[in-house]
Amino acid sequence: MRRRLAVTLAILVTLSAVLTAVTWGQSGEYKIGVLEPLTGPLSGEGKRHLEGFEIVRDMINERGGVMGKKLTFTVADAPDPTAAASEATRLITREGVKIIAGTFSSRLCGAASEAAARANVIYWETSCVDPRFNKRGLKNVYRTEIDATGFGWYNIEFIVKHLAPRFNLKPNQLKIAFVSEDSSYGQGVTESARARAKELGLIEVAPPEYYNFTTINDMTPVIVKLKQLNPDVVHHIAFSNDAPLFWRQAREQNFQFKALVHAGATGYGGADFGKAMGHDGNGVFALLEPGPGFKLDSLKPEGQKIEKEFRDAVQKRTGSYPLGGHQLAGGGLWLLKLVLDKSQSDDPDKFRAAVMSLDLPVGTMINGWGVKFSETGQNSNERVQHYMLQWQNGQLVTVWPEEFTTNRAKWIPLGAWDSRK
Amino acid sequence: MARALARHWGALLVFGAAALIPIVVRDAYFLDSLVLILLWGALSAAWNVAGGYAGQVSIGHASFFGIGAYSAALLATRWQQSPWIGMLVGITLSLAAGAAIGYLSNRLKGPYFALSTIAFSQVLLIVASRWRGFTSGSEGIPVPFRPGFATLGLGHVAWVYLALVVAVLYWAVELWLEHSRFGYRLAGVREDEDAAQALGIPARRLKVIAVTASAALTSVCGTLWAQYVGFVDPFYVFSVDLSVRFALNAIIGGMGTALGPFLGSILITSLETYLRATLSGVKSGFTGIYLIVYGVVLILVVRFVPDGLAGLAARLRGRWARAHA
Amino acid sequence: MDPARRLGLAQIDVVAQLGVSTVLLGGIYALIAVGLTLIFGIMRVVNFAHGEFLMLGMYLGFFAFTLLGLDPWFVLFVSIPLFFVVGALTYAVVMKGVIHASHNVQIFTTVGLSTALQNLALVLWSGDFHTVRPWHALTPVRVAGTAFNLSQVVAFVVAIGLTVLLFAFMRWTHTGRVMRATAQDREAAILMGIDTNRVYGLSFAIGIACVGAAGVLISPLYAVYPTAGLQFVLLSYVVVVLGGLGDIRGALIGSLIVAAVEVGGSYRFGTAWKEIFYFLLFIGVLVFRPAGLFGQRGAETLGV
Repeated sequence: MRRRLAVTLAILVTLSAVLTAVTWGQSGEYKIGVLEPLTGPLSGEGKRHLEGFEIVRDMINERGGVMGKKLTFTVADAPDPTAAASEATRLITREGVKIIAGTFSSRLCGAASEAAARANVIYWETSCVDPRFNKRGLKNVYRTEIDATGFGWYNIEFIVKHLAPRFNLKPNQLKIAFVSEDSSYGQGVTESARARAKELGLIEVAPPEYYNFTTINDMTPVIVKLKQLNPDVVHHIAFSNDAPLFWRQAREQNFQFKALVHAGATGYGGADFGKAMGHDGNGVFALLEPGPGFKLDSLKPEGQKIEKEFRDAVQKRTGSYPLGGHQLAGGGLWLLKLVLDKSQSDDPDKFRAAVMSLDLPVGTMINGWGVKFSETGQNSNERVQHYMLQWQNGQLVTVWPEEFTTNRAKWIPLGAWDSRK
Repeated sequence: MARALARHWGALLVFGAAALIPIVVRDAYFLDSLVLILLWGALSAAWNVAGGYAGQVSIGHASFFGIGAYSAALLATRWQQSPWIGMLVGITLSLAAGAAIGYLSNRLKGPYFALSTIAFSQVLLIVASRWRGFTSGSEGIPVPFRPGFATLGLGHVAWVYLALVVAVLYWAVELWLEHSRFGYRLAGVREDEDAAQALGIPARRLKVIAVTASAALTSVCGTLWAQYVGFVDPFYVFSVDLSVRFALNAIIGGMGTALGPFLGSILITSLETYLRATLSGVKSGFTGIYLIVYGVVLILVVRFVPDGLAGLAARLRGRWARAHA
Repeated sequence: MDPARRLGLAQIDVVAQLGVSTVLLGGIYALIAVGLTLIFGIMRVVNFAHGEFLMLGMYLGFFAFTLLGLDPWFVLFVSIPLFFVVGALTYAVVMKGVIHASHNVQIFTTVGLSTALQNLALVLWSGDFHTVRPWHALTPVRVAGTAFNLSQVVAFVVAIGLTVLLFAFMRWTHTGRVMRATAQDREAAILMGIDTNRVYGLSFAIGIACVGAAGVLISPLYAVYPTAGLQFVLLSYVVVVLGGLGDIRGALIGSLIVAAVEVGGSYRFGTAWKEIFYFLLFIGVLVFRPAGLFGQRGAETLGV
């Protein structure tokens, strides 16, 4: 009995010793942690973000890496908030990283960045849009992408500045309906769009229609309701299984509206929608990073060079034009390189100083972004230029702002179903 | 005293190791895993009070977990109250919710009861995610981290000891159920409710008490978890996955045994974190393999070791005792 | 102005459309629930993996269409025997060993199966969202001011056909009667000399064949992805309990009721709340009439 106890204790101690071993990177390499949802319902986008990171990492290494060393990743899967926090801790203690990049979803970035903040490790967020992310007073938490407020802002800007005049409507004559998948992302973007729409005097025809995208089986009740209210524009933030459903059923019910506007790389902004709909998806708008048609020469010279290289690298690896996930992650990682080039250190204070000192105009980087961080670690919405894309003949092309692209928005207003070929 | 310790050598080993580890090991990830093992273990022990000891198998205990998490988060962010106050509020609300579930347990049996508990947790999920004005809806609530004990802003080592205290307390509650009169009567209800009723045991009342107590215990851990991870997401804290996990640890470890939930938690939590850490870095196309392994392991363990690890240990000890008789 | 309150001809159109949507949606739910009512009803097993077999059926529809150009209606006939075999195999390998174990063991066996299948799909076929668009999915049917989809109509017709077939099978064949007897009272069935093991295997296989076929039929209507099963699984439990365990008619009627609650609730109160309605309905049924509409009073306590 005592012997068994001793043996068990010995095993426990050995186990803990083994598990405590920290893996050091080889010298000549600089390792950062990458945290993304690689399993679970968000895995499709999570993997694309990882791909974007990997592609830009290779570009960075071709230029000599960061701080004179080759940039390498240690990747972790974050399917839920508890896992996100745990894996962040693992990356920090076991892998010894001083910087964690990630994490796509708002439900994950909060928990993961908390864990990083408590360990005084830099958290470099490239995608989640929760507006409260950088308002928690955490010094080493940064976000390269605009927040949900920015998304809503850009969408309404587009509707008011570009669409309304072409409908011959003044903003206070334009009727808008809000439909949204019910998640942190959907709610964040929709509510900020609503706030801005209210500011500009648009007419909201009904309270926003939220739904759970994991259980939505029929959009007909929503469509029938909205049909009676006759909105000019439908602002629909969708995930990937509900967008085709809505589009199909709207067509069946002959629900006609002048435009549908979405934001983000899932749903109407995802490749799956185009693959599903083909030409039947023509006309839908999605706020994203630049797509085909984007005029390279509208960027500054250094921006042109890097954007071209990025596109070529993505094309080579995936066979397609960069998708939203690639662009957010890739753009974010490139920004990280710029910071590290300046700070030449991952010491949190030096890093922060370098972040705050960056000031580059729109058009300087991948995606045509500029950079200027606020005191709270948020890359300003004005510098992170976003673009409105439109599905035209099975492709998402850039249509706005017009100075950045050769393409123009078509089918304004959308007109009858089956008339947009 | 020595005899008592010897009888509970398993618990001594587990809790003793947990107490000693932070002294020896300073690796934050290891400590983090330990906190989670203890916390999930405590949650499963709370579930066990209703599931193992009272025989009411619920797959909706996330209801109480979520209530505890939201109470703490809301009181902290809206009214700047200490999470300990939030914990008390959570307990009160969970007692009410637990009583409701207890009522259901008196009307429904087996899989029907289980399904009703799922429905209950999903109703709470929808309310939490849609009540935007009060709970921030689907966006969830980031829980502020303010260093200090009153605000439960602790370092990893302190968390280990806090979780350990809770775990030992819950283990003691389970032990009490095994040796007290209340517990004996509850066991009678679990084994054969009609017979117990015939003997004059107020079966219905006992079941409600057990489920209500289980709810309150779960809620406390929900509050602790919210402070530890720092973000309350309605789709997670009220999820069926979480409810399944609480039951799972207890079943794998040995339902109706005091140490079972903790043994189950050690196995499942370690397995999950180990598999995720090892396999997720693999070429991005193959993430998900660790969950296939997890699912298969689950099927095998539940089939071949149905009375759990504690049952297995008991059988091995019996064999050892017979061999040395 | 609340659109639900408007009066007039427009209102009749709205009601008609919602009615049509309810019926067609109910048909889809019936397809899925019919298999579950057999499994849950006869074996008393909460099959958490039911949605995953639906998902596998959807992937079958997708691959057959994309790689072989086969229309889902054709694949339907292949899928029934195929999923029957899949169901029988799953029973033999996974379920048989735990059929006499406690409920908890059975529940967690199916939980493990569910996790394994979801992630198998993820690893093999990635998390991308696929769509199947045969000609009939693009064909709106317009009747008297209402509109719907041809694929939906066919799915509904098949659902009715399947329900009728199974009902006839359960009522008028010997095997069917044997299965119903086992559903009503397992112990008595054993005493009567029924080989309950064979009954369980058969029930499971038929149940999986139904849900696999359902998956193929609905692949033109919904996106195909690894966690697609979650869209329907909890709801199908509501249907099954509402209709009464093991009762085929009940599955159909229950489906229509749940669909009505969903569609009506969505229209009147907003789609965000639709699940609350059927979950509350579910709890209500469990509290007041747990045997369901067609179940025998007290049947819910037998065998559990």
